[in-house]
Amino acid sequence: MANTFGRGAMTNHWIDIQHADVILVIGSNAAENHPISFKYVLKAKENGAKLISVDPRITRTTSVADLYAPLRCGTDIAFMGGIINYALQNNKIQKEYVVEYTNASLLVNPSFGFNDGLFTGYDRGNRKYGKDTWSYQLDSKGIPKKDVTLQDPNCVYQLMKKHFERYTPEKVSAITGCPKDTFLKVADVYTSTHKPDKVATIMYAMGTTQHTIGTQNIRTYAMLQLLMGNVGMAGGGINALRGESNVQGSTDYALLWHILPGYLGIPQTKKDVDFKTYVKNNTPKTNDPMSVNWWQHKPKYLVSLLKAWYGDAATKENNFCFDWLPKASKPYPHIVLFEDMFAGQHKGAILMGTNPVVGGPDSSREAKALERLEWLVCADLWETDTSVFWKRPGANPAAIQTEVFLLPMASSVEKEGSVSNSGRWAQWRYKAQEPPGQARSDLWLVDAMFRELQKLYKADVAAGKRCALPDPIIKGNWDYTHPGEHEPDPHLVAREINGYEWGSKKLVKNFTVLKDDGSTACGNWLYGGSYTEEGNMMARRGTKDTANKLGMYPEWSWCWPVNRRIIYNRASVNRQGQPWNPKKWVVKWNGSEWKGDVIDGGGAPDKKNPFIMLPEGVGRLFAAGLADGPFPEHYEPMESPTRNLMNSQAVNPAAVILDSVKGRFGNSAQYPYVGTSYRVTEHWQAGAMTRNLPWLTELVPDMFCEISPELASQKGITNGDKVKIISKRGTIEARALVTSRIRAWNINGKSVEMVGMVWHFGHGCAVSGDSCNTLTPHIGDANTMIPEFKAFLVDIKKA
Amino acid sequence: MADNAFLLDTTKCTGCRGCQVACKQWNGLPGEQTEFFAGPEYTNPRELSSITWNHVKFFDVDRSNPEHPVWQIMHKKCFHCEDANCMKVCPERAISKVDGWVVIDQSKCIGCGACVNECIYHVPHIRQSDSKTYKCNACTVNEREIPACAFACPTGALTYGNRTALLQDAQSRLKKYTHASRDAEGNEIPAVFPKAQLYGKDQFGGLKMLVILKDRPSKYGLEENPRPLEITKVEHMHDTYALLSMFTLGIPSLKRMAYRLSKSSTASSSDSKIS
Repeated sequence: MANTFGRGAMTNHWIDIQHADVILVIGSNAAENHPISFKYVLKAKENGAKLISVDPRITRTTSVADLYAPLRCGTDIAFMGGIINYALQNNKIQKEYVVEYTNASLLVNPSFGFNDGLFTGYDRGNRKYGKDTWSYQLDSKGIPKKDVTLQDPNCVYQLMKKHFERYTPEKVSAITGCPKDTFLKVADVYTSTHKPDKVATIMYAMGTTQHTIGTQNIRTYAMLQLLMGNVGMAGGGINALRGESNVQGSTDYALLWHILPGYLGIPQTKKDVDFKTYVKNNTPKTNDPMSVNWWQHKPKYLVSLLKAWYGDAATKENNFCFDWLPKASKPYPHIVLFEDMFAGQHKGAILMGTNPVVGGPDSSREAKALERLEWLVCADLWETDTSVFWKRPGANPAAIQTEVFLLPMASSVEKEGSVSNSGRWAQWRYKAQEPPGQARSDLWLVDAMFRELQKLYKADVAAGKRCALPDPIIKGNWDYTHPGEHEPDPHLVAREINGYEWGSKKLVKNFTVLKDDGSTACGNWLYGGSYTEEGNMMARRGTKDTANKLGMYPEWSWCWPVNRRIIYNRASVNRQGQPWNPKKWVVKWNGSEWKGDVIDGGGAPDKKNPFIMLPEGVGRLFAAGLADGPFPEHYEPMESPTRNLMNSQAVNPAAVILDSVKGRFGNSAQYPYVGTSYRVTEHWQAGAMTRNLPWLTELVPDMFCEISPELASQKGITNGDKVKIISKRGTIEARALVTSRIRAWNINGKSVEMVGMVWHFGHGCAVSGDSCNTLTPHIGDANTMIPEFKAFLVDIKKA
Repeated sequence: MADNAFLLDTTKCTGCRGCQVACKQWNGLPGEQTEFFAGPEYTNPRELSSITWNHVKFFDVDRSNPEHPVWQIMHKKCFHCEDANCMKVCPERAISKVDGWVVIDQSKCIGCGACVNECIYHVPHIRQSDSKTYKCNACTVNEREIPACAFACPTGALTYGNRTALLQDAQSRLKKYTHASRDAEGNEIPAVFPKAQLYGKDQFGGLKMLVILKDRPSKYGLEENPRPLEITKVEHMHDTYALLSMFTLGIPSLKRMAYRLSKSSTASSSDSKIS
């Protein structure tokens, strides 16, 4: 989404979903995994909305859907690409919106091309693209040339049309296994929202992202919503459903390797050799007067962040201690980290609230990786499958040298702080009770560790010992405890995150006043405005609604950016500032000011373009920023039951295949069935909490898989039997739930069966079972490397 | 006395089982030891019990219309019949109406199993540890304004309120579900659940658990026209029991014996149980 719209976040918010006319749930089982927020989907239905469930099997979401379309795991691009083709061939697009607010009319470099699954610039040896040809044609002012009639063969619109011509209903059906008529019905219902007064929203989750083509899956949804003119609209947008209550918070605050807080890119060793170079490489420029190009302010956010972190030590002369920032020498997502750990490259690890022995891909390999550590710290509510990895079934504790520390931690109701939901709302929570025994908050632990490190480094330096780089620790600006107190105060952290004037220490009202000269400090520019001199905006619980009565509740907590509830809302009006859909208006211009939601990019309507985070200012149908192509293309999962019917490439040509895992993939001759993993409402993630709760283990006590009655009968399996499920990476045992909710897909004439599994089980809790992730592969998306949990190959037999 | 009831609209239920867990939590009931699933699908445990006062029944999916499969998921607990069999048959008069709800007073219950035998919905169950019978009491015992299950339901499938108002609401919803309509362009939209029916309006004099089902009740194990127990059939048994009780000195196990003797000595109730 960041590459299509400018920000990688849910565009609308939960309550807004009730305003949709069509809700397309794909790559998500929202009723199952977001059961409470799902009420807004049902509210939409009460108002006449149609719910479409596109899923490999019939789920709890399907049970309340109006239309169900089966889809083979990993074939979203074929399906949605087919809808793109349907929309373009049948002229079901919101023409004015597409011309004005997307890059449809922009002209692309004539050297750009695509052939048989490969875009121009492919380096086969390195599995990487050179993107020089993926560029716009520029005029003399450096502004992309365009053809608003959309006829030029090099304009994005025509290139896109040509690209998706191959995604015919017949081809879609052959690849996905969805019957042609059903696919056409979905296409028809969904594209009915191209009308300005009709809107669809797309809800997606891990079923979309956890693939080697995950990012491109999202791209197809984003492109479709642009073509329909649904982005920025009430009841529209792309609603990415986070898999956990604070994942949005975790990415906002850069728990991922590739970013700094506020989605600033992490400096890369090879490219960003110093501060000036980083700024040059990472600050987009544009000469287009219509483009707000908000990332032009990036240097202000970076400098303010450095000032917050290094305080007095950060000066203009030393480029605000930029050199002290850790740099990325290579991509370092979860899979790479554990491969390195497996190769013995880590002395120790600190795992906080995470359970990779159950939740990690190729989990038995990840458990073996833990055995290579000298020490492991597990900070969790109680013992987890990971904290007892050393005595898991099959392990030999005597041979494992890892020293394990289990630190008891406070639960979410035993500490104070904010949680940022899928809709970007940061809701402050108070402490309901003290944690039991010696359990501590995460803040306490991190604070205690850092201050101890400071002490140890200071002592080492004073004693003349050789230290690698003590200054960033010793001189770090770290002060989150009030004088005389023993516990750090989350309010002090929140204030730093909001940002303040370095001299006066006065909190800033929002990020527009941040500077790049060291006079401001800010822990996360995105959260500017969340905790101001007026108080903790995140703790507000006001129920007054905006004038448009859409359930935005601007005084309930605070959302980023600057409390804008629907981002890209400038696209919800025409160039005169009048809403495309007056009945559900988000913002409107009354001649002198904007009413409604916080307008995206200020100023009069026709002065600026709505996608302010992109240098073009318009939404990208053609998006050159991704590793695997400016247009999505169907590729098969790494382990696939069929040859690719769309082109001669197998897996995503840009997906990274690490040398260390080259022998760990199977083929369909040995493993004929599509394996996939998913969740049930009753269990939570890797099960460390829920497999200890009797009310929940009453409901789902055992590891189970789901198979069709036909596959069961073929294998002599009856409902409830113990079965063995095997992949190239291991074997697990499970109980078989034989259900008609699962049915083989007809893939180009061949019947392909599925084995679906829940991944909540492990052997370290009150209730045990084998882990599905023993079977999943160490390969992931070409851009993010999120593991391909959702499509792999298995065999199954009665145990 | 309030005339309240539950309305369960199964077309909105996603089977999250928040109701099943909320009841356990509010009433301090332990989780059951289960294995795999009792079925069909995720149903666990198989039946209500003395420690499971509501559970969610999943039925097999009807895939006859591939584009609109019908998966009936139904919250099941005591239906709180107006004309309850259990109340009529209890020899100790331990079951009575509290605020309109059918409630077992465990202090009077002797665990004879009469109510267990006569309830066609298999609701009450005897607890081995204390030989007393338990079932949903609509949260009248551990009081709350809205019963825990309805309060927990996130989708509004299970609601609680005045029975007359809920009945009206149910009728208008049924109309919507079972009739075709037209969209803004005049295209016909087929009925979403053409076979939907309401259960609970008149059975046993009217149930306080009204259920909108996606298809006819008999598909889901619910008898459409159950015959309530005729009071005359048990009167003779009660008379015999009253007499025999005089010799039991109030000891529950002796009372149970007295009940068994009374039952077998009179013509037993002819209402056979239909699951």
